Amino acid sequence: MSNAVVIKGTTYGFSVFIDEQADFTVICKELGEKFRESSKFFGDAKMAISFDGRPLSDEQQRQLLDIIAENSEVHIVCVIEHNTETEELHRRSLEDRLQVLEGATGQFYKGNLRSGQVLETETSIIIIGDVNQGATVTSKGNIIVLGALLGNVYAGAGGNQDAFIVALELDPVQIRIADTIARAPDREGKMPWKRSKEKTKEPKIAFRSGENIFIEPVSRTVLNDIKL
Amino acid sequence: MGEVIVVTSGKGGVGKTTTTANVGTGLAKLEKKVVLIDTDIGLRNLDVVMGLENRIVYNLVDVIEGTCKINQAFIKVKGYNNFYLLPSAQTRDKTAITPEQMKKLTDQLKEEFDYVIIDCPAGIEQGFHNAIAGADRALVVTTPEVSAVRDADRIIGLLEANEIRRTHLIVNRLRMDMVKRGDMMSSEDVVEILAIPLIGVVPDDENIVISTNQGTPLVGNNTLAGKAYMNICRRVDGEEVPFLDLTGKGGIFSRLFKKN
Repeated sequence: MSNAVVIKGTTYGFSVFIDEQADFTVICKELGEKFRESSKFFGDAKMAISFDGRPLSDEQQRQLLDIIAENSEVHIVCVIEHNTETEELHRRSLEDRLQVLEGATGQFYKGNLRSGQVLETETSIIIIGDVNQGATVTSKGNIIVLGALLGNVYAGAGGNQDAFIVALELDPVQIRIADTIARAPDREGKMPWKRSKEKTKEPKIAFRSGENIFIEPVSRTVLNDIKL
Repeated sequence: MGEVIVVTSGKGGVGKTTTTANVGTGLAKLEKKVVLIDTDIGLRNLDVVMGLENRIVYNLVDVIEGTCKINQAFIKVKGYNNFYLLPSAQTRDKTAITPEQMKKLTDQLKEEFDYVIIDCPAGIEQGFHNAIAGADRALVVTTPEVSAVRDADRIIGLLEANEIRRTHLIVNRLRMDMVKRGDMMSSEDVVEILAIPLIGVVPDDENIVISTNQGTPLVGNNTLAGKAYMNICRRVDGEEVPFLDLTGKGGIFSRLFKKN
């Protein structure tokens, strides 16, 4: 027998996995056969059922329930819905809302983050101090450093592609915004402590555009493009 | 009551033991009551640098385990009235003692001494936690190398996390000629990264290797390193001492040669 339909017992009843590819008539036939075979085993138990594996229309669901009723003594008390589409819709609207909150609300941290230290926040973060090499800052929102940012930063960790990073001295080892990663240029024999000195120390902003991360001096034009 | 000072660095080989020996000896020269504790169990060498290895009978682990009385394990340093070394054990490891036991010991010792100076092992594991357990303040030693500075940064973070906030920086083995050429970080570069107050800069000086081999700390003698270490001791003791000019001799000939 093929496996277009697989029946599993759960705490409250059955979970019926239906092959996404299989033809609906095959499914009906197989479901009937499987319930007929097990009808003795199930007896006249009262159970809940859930259909997984592929979306079913109301009509199809009713058809399948009729087949079960015809082929066994089982009483299906209720159908547990796993509507992936609605779930996805709920998840997305929740995440969108959370992202807005993550970006638009924030907290402060005062102190230097040193090598090996990790700061993770659900909202945006403003750090008053330096983020040294070997330290990591992760935020679901934006990251603002009133000091030197020399370590690893990850803004928009929840997937917010509009997240941005600002620092008085922006020279991180690695920078991540949502799922885009950029790294500092290779040292190529240069003395690392000079690197940040050679660049003029001015406030800079890192943001994502397309698939790339751009670092630019903070200017009115750039700030106008910020989305919170 | 005295102070417990831990000498630490994270990275190995930057001069923790040499610094402990010289700062301890310098403070003893300033007529302070000082005890040095080597917490590098299994890799002891503060006794070697102090030239006292032949006098070890009991050690730190013996004291903590109660095998001997604390005074039996103390080694009196030649030529001083109130200067002792509590050596480490060589045949045990870092797990032989706990941070709680160390804190109890140092709390007891600082009642009696002006300065309890702890030589911390390299690394950030149990040995480090033992060494810092009872410390009131820390001397963080680093050389002007990016790897040593990175480890010092990590150590400062761990000290802060353990509520030790009085930390001072010693930049060891600085070579002014290399700094001038741009091949080495200056002490200012190091301070800029680590953002803790600088308490001393010790030049790279072959006299240190000689004195370490001889087992006589050079602090207070006429070498540049000897002067630098003595200045650190005075600053540790609260005195304000200007920083040395490490550019060296500054004689007329060296100036002439430099111009060519």
